[in-house]
Order: sequence, then structure tokens, then C-alpha cells
Amino acid sequence: MKRRNFIKSVFGASVVAVTLTPVSIMAEDKKAGNKLSYAEAEKVITGGKGAKDSDKIKLTVPEIAENGAVVPVKVMVDNPMEEANYVKAIHVLASKNGNSRCADVMLSPLNGKGYFATRIKLGGTQDVVALVELSNGTFIKTAKSVKVTIGGCG
Amino acid sequence: MKKILLPLAFVLASSSISLAGDQFAMSDKDRAMYKEMLENNPAEIYVEDGGEILENELGGDEALAKFLGLKESELPKYIAGFPRYIKKLGAVVAIDQVIQAMQVNQGKKKTKLKSAKMFSMLAYVKSLANDENVNIDIKADKYIKASYALGKVNFMTPRGGRGLSCNSCHSADIVGGVLRTQPLPDLGVVGTGTTWPAYRMTKSSLRTLQRRFQGCMKNALLKVIPIGSKEMVALEVYVTQLAKEHKQKIAIPGLKR
Amino acid sequence: MAEKRKSMIKFKPKKFKVGDVIKVDFIVIHPMDTGTKKNKKTGEVIPSKYIDNITFSFDGKPFTSMKVWETVSTNPYFSVNFKVPAKGKITVDYTDNTGEKNSKSKKLKPKG
Repeated sequence: MKRRNFIKSVFGASVVAVTLTPVSIMAEDKKAGNKLSYAEAEKVITGGKGAKDSDKIKLTVPEIAENGAVVPVKVMVDNPMEEANYVKAIHVLASKNGNSRCADVMLSPLNGKGYFATRIKLGGTQDVVALVELSNGTFIKTAKSVKVTIGGCG
Repeated sequence: MKKILLPLAFVLASSSISLAGDQFAMSDKDRAMYKEMLENNPAEIYVEDGGEILENELGGDEALAKFLGLKESELPKYIAGFPRYIKKLGAVVAIDQVIQAMQVNQGKKKTKLKSAKMFSMLAYVKSLANDENVNIDIKADKYIKASYALGKVNFMTPRGGRGLSCNSCHSADIVGGVLRTQPLPDLGVVGTGTTWPAYRMTKSSLRTLQRRFQGCMKNALLKVIPIGSKEMVALEVYVTQLAKEHKQKIAIPGLKR
Repeated sequence: MAEKRKSMIKFKPKKFKVGDVIKVDFIVIHPMDTGTKKNKKTGEVIPSKYIDNITFSFDGKPFTSMKVWETVSTNPYFSVNFKVPAKGKITVDYTDNTGEKNSKSKKLKPKG
């Protein structure tokens, strides 16, 4: 409470300076490198707490990806983005990639909505997982299966 | 430098891809997702880049219009009619050959037709015609007539190790079949003549129609013919006419698998 | 700093007011090499080279940061929302795992 008021007074009420790069994530990377399985990555990201499945997360991915190199992913979290309650981070993972992690997006109330979109590589048919951290420290998640067709002419 | 006119609506005609099996059917939801990707096409950066190169090295739209004997305002509709017979070049040419001719005309070094730099410049120039109805005129003169006839023969003639022609996989009767898990498209309906140059997702790069045709020939065990050759330009003429018959609009850059 | 890479920042919709929540899209030409592919001609492994950190700022103040892995597509695209507080400048600073640093900015011009 005291810290937030201090930050507010320094940066002004319209911009809340929130910690955007959780130190825990950075430290773990050096240890494990780019080869965490989904289970290991979830452990690292949630600090061992795990995440509950939630339908507050709308994850949009194709049912069948035209190719595995460019798979569109969209995450929208149904949650306010107020100082007292906002989507702190959206993590995108792929359940069977050698490195299950794709992107860790640290948001702030200035984003207005808990939304992130990108395009990822999928090594084969697997689940894409959206793992979300809320400002109250809880973690929620949802997953969708994407079929990756390997074929085509050239 | 003209701003890129982004296509307002990219129509991937759902009726065109009638699929042999449900397992390969692209759902409406998936189709919508891929359509959205057109709004964030990495190829737009290459198109912008092509425009900068044209501007810095050759004098941009102004020089292009002058070279073609047009007013700048006439460029979009004119570009939408390529390939064309250009009298001063003495041949039916595609846009990239016009750019090369401009380079020669200005005493500059020719950029290879099969190069990323040329692909970007070609994409920029063709994008000037965005939203125009493709208006190639295969009856305009005897040269374009001959080119169209040659293109049709090339499209239909089986050759190579498997005795295949373009028509073997892309004829109106075959369309709907599936080859290597990919549905075979009707080239007129999907606007092959109007949506290349395009970003190829499997190659993560900007590719042109003639370059794509080279890839397809290689896969079908047909001897690859050079970009800018009479035969390759003739194929582009044929396929562009197919797009015209399906009333396609120019939409550059495209997005392909 | 001067940008060595080609990239684009887009706002959607193009016309917006103060208080609107808009989409900020960032596309950049970058190989995003995983370090597991081989050069077809030489047989040598292509070393990994991928964007690993991105920060989105408004008038110098960060509002979104990303840790990115090699599993993101080549020539990547990143999209977030932004609640327009005022007229200003959006800057995207990005680095890759080889230490390359780049920056791209775009002016935010709300109407009304």
C-alpha cells in the first residue's frame, strides 16, 4: 500500500509504474535454458502454485494450422485493468515444443484490456496454452489443441 | 511516394475450395483468423521498402509514370493491366522487367529479376494498383494475343518426369481434390494473378508469382523455366486472364501458405 | 537510436480519441533463428538469433514488456491494447539474444 502511493506520487496518478519484468522469471531462465517442458515451465512461472482452468480466458487459435511455422494466437482475458485488479501477465506456451515457452507478456493498467496476440511456431500437433497471472497473485489458464498439417507442395 | 492502399477486403472465396474430406476443411473461424493476418502481413514492410528503393534509386512513381508515358494518376489502372506489350521494349513484359528497363535507361546496374530486392520493388509497383479490377487485355495487340496462346499451351502441356501439366492439378475438374494434405485451388477463383507478390508463410519471405511457379515446377518434376522468359511471362498472362474472368481485384501483398 | 531493422507500428483503429482502447501492433523483419536448423548448402548449424526482450513505452514510460523466445515465428508480430491517455509517442525498444538493440517510434495523435 505504502509503495504504491509512493510510486503514484512520483509518476503521477495517470501512469502506474508496475514491475514489468518479474525477477523470478529472469533468474530461472539462466538455470534451465530454453528447454523447459510445459510442466516445468508452468512450475517456474507460477512459482510452484500451479494454475486453475478458467473460462475467463478466451484463447483463439486455428483448429488446423495451415503450416507450423506461422500459427496465429490471440488471448483475451475477461478481467478489469484497474490498479487494484488487473491482468499482470499473459504467458503463451506450446505443450509439446522442445522449448514450451513462446512469450511472456507483462501488462499494466495502461493497456486497457488484458489482450495479446502473436504468431508462433509449432513443431507438430499439440496444445497451445494461455497462462495468465492476475495482480492478486493468482494464476489461471486455458488450452486449445491445434492440428499441424505437414504436407503441401513446396 | 504513394501510400500503400491496403486491400479493404480480401475475399478467400469459401465456395472455391470444395474439399474431398472434412478433415481438411478450413472452418469459417480458421478462415477468419487467417484473413485477419492480412492486416499484419510482414510483406507490407517489404512493399514499403520496395517503394523506398524505387524512390531513392530510380526517381519513384514520377519516374515510373514518365518511363511509361503516363500521368502519375493513370498508374493504378495501367499497372492493373500487366503483363503488357510495351512497344519500346519490343516484348510482352511483366512489371519487374519494366523496372529493370528503367534501370538500364538510367544507366544503373540491373537488379536480377530473381532477387529479394526486385521482388520488393515489383510488390511496391503492383501495390499501386490495389483495389483496381485486374484489367489485362489479351486482345489489345497481336503480341499479347500470342503470349496468351503460348501461356495456355504451357499450362496445358504435360512434360517432365511425371508427365504433368499445370492443368493436371489445377484444372477446373480437379479442383476440390487434395494433394499432400492441401486442397487444390482454382487459380482464377483464388486470384493467383492478383494476390502475388505475397508473403509465403512456409518460406517466411516475400515471393512473386513467377518464383512460386518455379517452385511448383520443381515439385512436379517439370524443368524449371527462367523468370522473365517468354514462356514464364506467357503463363503469368494466362493466369492473370483467369483472375480477370473471376473479376478479381489487385490485393498486394497477399498471404500464402 | 537509429533502427538497423525494418519494422512497423500500427494503431487500430486509425482514428481514435483520448480514453479509447486501441490496438498497438508491432511487426518486425527478424529471422528468429532457433539454432537448430542447418544451412542447406554448407551443412553448418545456423546459430540462434531471436528477439528476446521488447518494451513498449508511452512518452518514455514503459507500459508493457515482453520476454520472447525462439519459438515465436520469423518476422514476428506482437499486438497489445493501449488506453490512450493523451497525445504522445509510442516507442518499441527491442533486443535480441546476440545483443542487437533496436528502437521504433510512432506518434500517437488522438482526435478530440
